[in-house]
Amino acid sequence: MLVELTVNGESRSANVPPETTLLKMLREHLGLTGAKLGCDVGDCGTCTVIVDGVSVNSCLMLAGRADGCDVTTIEGLATADDLHPLQQKFEEHGALQCGFCGPGMLISAKNLLDNNPDPSVFEVRDALAGNLCRCTGYTKIIEAVIEAGEMMSQEPANV
Amino acid sequence: MRPMDYIVPESAEAAVAILAERGENACPLAGGTDLVVDLKHAPGNINALVDVSGLDEFRGIDVTDEGLRIGSMATYGEIMEHPVCLEKTPEVVAASHTVGAVQTRNLGTIGGNLVTCVPSADSAPALMVLDAEVTLIGTNGWRRMPIEDFFVGPRKTILEPYELLAEIWIPKHTLGKPSSFYKFGLRKGQALALVNAAAALELDGDRIVEPRIALGAVAPTPIRAVKAEALLDGQDVDAKLLDEAAQIAVTESKPIDDFRASKNYRRQLIRTLTRRVLERSVEIARKRQEQDKLH
Ligand SMILES: Cc1cc2nc3c(=O)[nH]c(=O)nc-3n(C[C@H](O)[C@H](O)[C@H](O)COP(=O)(O)OP(=O)(O)OC[C@H]3O[C@@H](n4cnc5c(N)ncnc54)[C@H](O)[C@@H]3O)c2cc1C
Ligand code: FES
Ligand code: FES
Repeated sequence: MLVELTVNGESRSANVPPETTLLKMLREHLGLTGAKLGCDVGDCGTCTVIVDGVSVNSCLMLAGRADGCDVTTIEGLATADDLHPLQQKFEEHGALQCGFCGPGMLISAKNLLDNNPDPSVFEVRDALAGNLCRCTGYTKIIEAVIEAGEMMSQEPANV
Repeated sequence: MRPMDYIVPESAEAAVAILAERGENACPLAGGTDLVVDLKHAPGNINALVDVSGLDEFRGIDVTDEGLRIGSMATYGEIMEHPVCLEKTPEVVAASHTVGAVQTRNLGTIGGNLVTCVPSADSAPALMVLDAEVTLIGTNGWRRMPIEDFFVGPRKTILEPYELLAEIWIPKHTLGKPSSFYKFGLRKGQALALVNAAAALELDGDRIVEPRIALGAVAPTPIRAVKAEALLDGQDVDAKLLDEAAQIAVTESKPIDDFRASKNYRRQLIRTLTRRVLERSVEIARKRQEQDKLH
């Protein structure tokens, strides 16, 4: 079936078998390998992408469901010149170790900050509860998200 | 996933007709958070998915003269943001908030949760204590029933072949009823309930009116603790009475041993959680009485 989406602001389409998940379409048909395949059953969150303003596990969503939708993946965060404030803060804090959870962590964090730029620690933990980090650097990740929120509130032009 | 047809029906009636025509190899798809996981591991003979998640008849949350209508295909995320749910059914919102994590709540629907019908389904107790009803549409048209009647056994509902869960109704008289939901899992996020519990009641002075208690993960389906409710009904509130009701709720449950918890541990949890949701409901009812006095 033909699935047409806007991915990171660009119109993209692909002809995919109907049982294809959005994750598989992004990775194998559109060449966007940023979102990762971890557990494949909704537990780990490394496949997280934003679809029409809400974050979802792309391993559980069929590509057909996303037809006509606006999708943001990790590839949509940085510009050619600048990292996203979240990426800058993750780097500063050493918030990633192996990095496998990173694409999902960053997308979940972006979805949080887009709606709530000044979250409490509890709100950050709640927003990231569906993103597992096997290297377990959660404290640094939470610190980075809170500082990125502060940075984004100060420089709205940068967001 | 194995090759599969993906069909988006135009209406609820069309969905029923397509399911009936394709027979047992087709099944309805909502958010996919249970179904897609199952299809990846044990697809059985399913070869067609009928996506009912966008059907107007099953979507939306609105208030009518009858009460609050929650479309079966409302996601937890939508329920958690809905102003009427936040104001009138805060414990349905609280229960929704305990499901999985953000990403799953944005895909998963409350209707899918009820149809999957696991004993630990987190949306069930909070709806049961508000006397919720469900509407179904099938080859013989529409029917309506109390939510308790919908659950038949573990992963088994009253749905006939090709019948669909359309709506959940919370009647007008329980909107805003003092209520409390509590889920005990091994973690705050991404953990199924060892036990979950909900209560709702009104206070007339000190007298308990229309008490409701519902429990999950303690029997083959979510259950009402009707004997405990009967003990409370019409009695004056006191701490000992609430604990006695909680002990009766334990006797009404049939918890099992599994890898998450032992039977005995679950019994302790049932008593503690039941007492807590009752105490909390009383507290909310008392606050309401104080506010009413001021106005
Ligand atoms: C990571 C993760 C964590 C989870 N955590 C929790 C948790 O904490 N608590 C909890 O209770 N659940 C949890 N779940 C289970 C799941 O998210 C819920 O049960 C969810 O509400 C199912 O809804 P859905 O829309 O995804 O249904 P689907 O998976 O699309 O469908 C579920 C079943 O219902 C059928 N169906 C769907 N819609 C209809 C309809 N309208 N009429 C008739 N049949 C229908 C489908 O054929 C299927 O059999 C979790 C799941 C995941 C993946
Ligand atoms: S790969 Fe989707 S949640 Fe793990
Ligand atoms: S940095 Fe390795 S999984 Fe998170």
